[in-house]
Amino acid sequence: MATDLRISNISKIYPGCIANDNVTLQFKSGKIYALLGENGAGKSTLVKILSGVISPDNGEVFLNEKNLKLSSPLDAKKNKIGMVFQHFNLFETLSVFENLSIDATEDNKSLRVRINEIFKKYNFSIDLDVPVLNLSAGQKQKVEIIRCLLRSPKVLIMDEPTSVLTEQETEELFISLKKFCDEGILIIYITHKLKEVLSLCDEVAVMRKGKVVSVSQTQNEKVETLANKMVGQKLAKIKKKINISKNKDEIFKVKHLNFYSDDPFETNLVNLNFSVKKGECLGIAGISGNGQNELFQILSGEIITPDTSIIFRNKEIAKLNPKQRREYLMAFSPEDRISQAAVPELKIYENVALNNFKSSNFFEKGLVNERKIKEHSKKILSDFSVNTDNVELKSQFLSGGNLQKLILGRELITAPELLICYNPTWGLDVGAINYIHETLIKINDQEKSTILISTDTEELLKLSDRIAVIYKGKLSKIMPSEEVTPEKLGVLMGGGSID
Amino acid sequence: MSLDISFIGILIGSIMASSVPLILAASGELITERSGVLNLGVEGMMIIGAISGFALMVITDNLFIAIVGSMFSGVIISLIFGFLTQSLLTNHVATGLALTIFGIGLSAMLGKNFVGIPGKEFPILFSSLRESIPFFGPILFGHSIVLYFAFALPFLTNYFLKKTKLGLVVRAVGDSPVSASNQGINVTLVRYCCILYGGAMCGLAGAYLSLIYTPQWIENMTAGRGWIALALVVFATWSPIKVLIGALIFGGITILQLHMQAIGFRIPVQFLSALPYLMTIIVLVVISRDSRKIKLNTPTSLGRIFYKEK
Repeated sequence: MATDLRISNISKIYPGCIANDNVTLQFKSGKIYALLGENGAGKSTLVKILSGVISPDNGEVFLNEKNLKLSSPLDAKKNKIGMVFQHFNLFETLSVFENLSIDATEDNKSLRVRINEIFKKYNFSIDLDVPVLNLSAGQKQKVEIIRCLLRSPKVLIMDEPTSVLTEQETEELFISLKKFCDEGILIIYITHKLKEVLSLCDEVAVMRKGKVVSVSQTQNEKVETLANKMVGQKLAKIKKKINISKNKDEIFKVKHLNFYSDDPFETNLVNLNFSVKKGECLGIAGISGNGQNELFQILSGEIITPDTSIIFRNKEIAKLNPKQRREYLMAFSPEDRISQAAVPELKIYENVALNNFKSSNFFEKGLVNERKIKEHSKKILSDFSVNTDNVELKSQFLSGGNLQKLILGRELITAPELLICYNPTWGLDVGAINYIHETLIKINDQEKSTILISTDTEELLKLSDRIAVIYKGKLSKIMPSEEVTPEKLGVLMGGGSID
Repeated sequence: MSLDISFIGILIGSIMASSVPLILAASGELITERSGVLNLGVEGMMIIGAISGFALMVITDNLFIAIVGSMFSGVIISLIFGFLTQSLLTNHVATGLALTIFGIGLSAMLGKNFVGIPGKEFPILFSSLRESIPFFGPILFGHSIVLYFAFALPFLTNYFLKKTKLGLVVRAVGDSPVSASNQGINVTLVRYCCILYGGAMCGLAGAYLSLIYTPQWIENMTAGRGWIALALVVFATWSPIKVLIGALIFGGITILQLHMQAIGFRIPVQFLSALPYLMTIIVLVVISRDSRKIKLNTPTSLGRIFYKEK
């Protein structure tokens, strides 16, 4: 039976922000729909309304012309609307089977039979009796999907499902989703990744600032047209001029970097040697988990390794801790913005003060000079176009893009000679990515150097002067980026060899 | 020799009796904590149970009413805690501590007129078998019905948590209230029920002290047993069967300490009464070595306030 889902004039207003503004959309089964928008465009609010987690201030939802009252998640379930949240809604300490049985109405035996049927049908395999916390992100997502499938849903909503998946897992997910679609399940796919929309979905609705700004067939769209609709302005195409000055001084030189760990979750690094010239961007590509974390921590001084030599501005700094390295004008932007780069519970100006213990006069005789820090923070907020001017705001209320701008601003205000960043645009929307790329290019234009560790090949090709690939803790030879193509990078990242 | 064996039997029997309030209170608190609520008011709820049980016994002269009434008073006082933490979203730790202080004060006030009144003899079961079978007699027979219930309780609790749907819901709420809420489980209701159940068990534990173990009312008669019960839950890493074992060990320490003093064995009493806490710390250190194991047993959301999105 065909399913027809209609959202009519949905509005949801939070203090100071209109999350959904008169949203009207229509979906029919047999197709995969994309709901596209930047972070904060109102996608998540909309799906929370559809799944009954929050109630709208205004508007109605119709399923096959029946007006749904979605006042709790139970109502969504009863009406066969299934939902896979971006942050998994699983019980980590319970086993997979317990997670699946918690809202089942049948006895355990027949439930197991049904789960095994689903496993066979879609080629899944997960041990039902291990606790969920032992599963990988991809497996956890499968558990969520199975939980929805057990209720034979008419509508399946996926909220940013690929943000935690590897490429392999993403492919598997897409295959499953297409199968579900063929079986008549209406699929709504929420994302801010343009390529996924084009490769997976049939129709796309773009949201911006709480409103639906466009609905169209994906076959008529391209990455650029979608990006423009999403951001709302023509995106300037930025392309870096490659630094031709090959005879510049080497400002940073790493020799014999080795790292051994007993922890099976860490990667050993084997004899890495590289150098960075003044005004240059060295890109380090690789699939995540190939030693990037360890490399970043060694370069920033969080891990000190014996026998490694790191020369920075003609000084040996291999034994210095991060604070001392900062004093030598290095700056760092770690991958995890929330837990490594900033303290989410602290206010903006407090976070700004955190890494500037010595270089500025924020502290006098052990006391905090709030006025100076606040002035300085205000300058960062305006210089780096963070969309608030309230330095008293807790950092956790900044969106990912704004937080990254704040972090970069904080690092750059000390005028570092070398900035090391790891996945600086991870999880950000197009507008913020563009801004951060422009900033990174500007740094190089000012004759300062950057090391860009990233899993995003497009970003690397755009920004780097030279690129190396890290694979299982080993570094490939370093290539000038004009000789590098995405295909070459792909081969090296997969462990192959070129030439 | 036969005298020694029967003495050991009696000793074990008395250890069992002294561990009953710990088993009851800790089993109740365990359910509360498994739902993610940390109620530090165990001592307060126990002492309220003790005075209300004793007072009802004196007033009505009916032990059944006294026992049920003590559980009911535990429910009432835990309802205060539930309302504050679940409906008004106050901090669990502060509210629990306040509950204990409140309970001790209130019980002293209510109990003024009951000091010095002799208790009533509580019926014991199978008293003839107790005398006729050496060694096993005093262990297995001649106890009050509350003791038999207490020793069955950890197994029932284990069965409830592991095998029943409701038990699964309780564990799920303790693991992740947000996920549970998104699955359509009424987190606040589940937590209220667990808090009230914990209150009832603490009330019963108090009544055991004032009606059965030492049948009289003495001010502050729980004497820190509520705190030991709290420590016991952690000691047992939230597993009901280990609560039973831990309660016997802690109960055993209390009894042995008395006997050792009688023989003239000189260990400071203070050290022996500190032993349960010391052992809890040691156990915590030992289990902390395996973070994964702790994670599997500990209710992840323990003590955290749950806000529902609107």
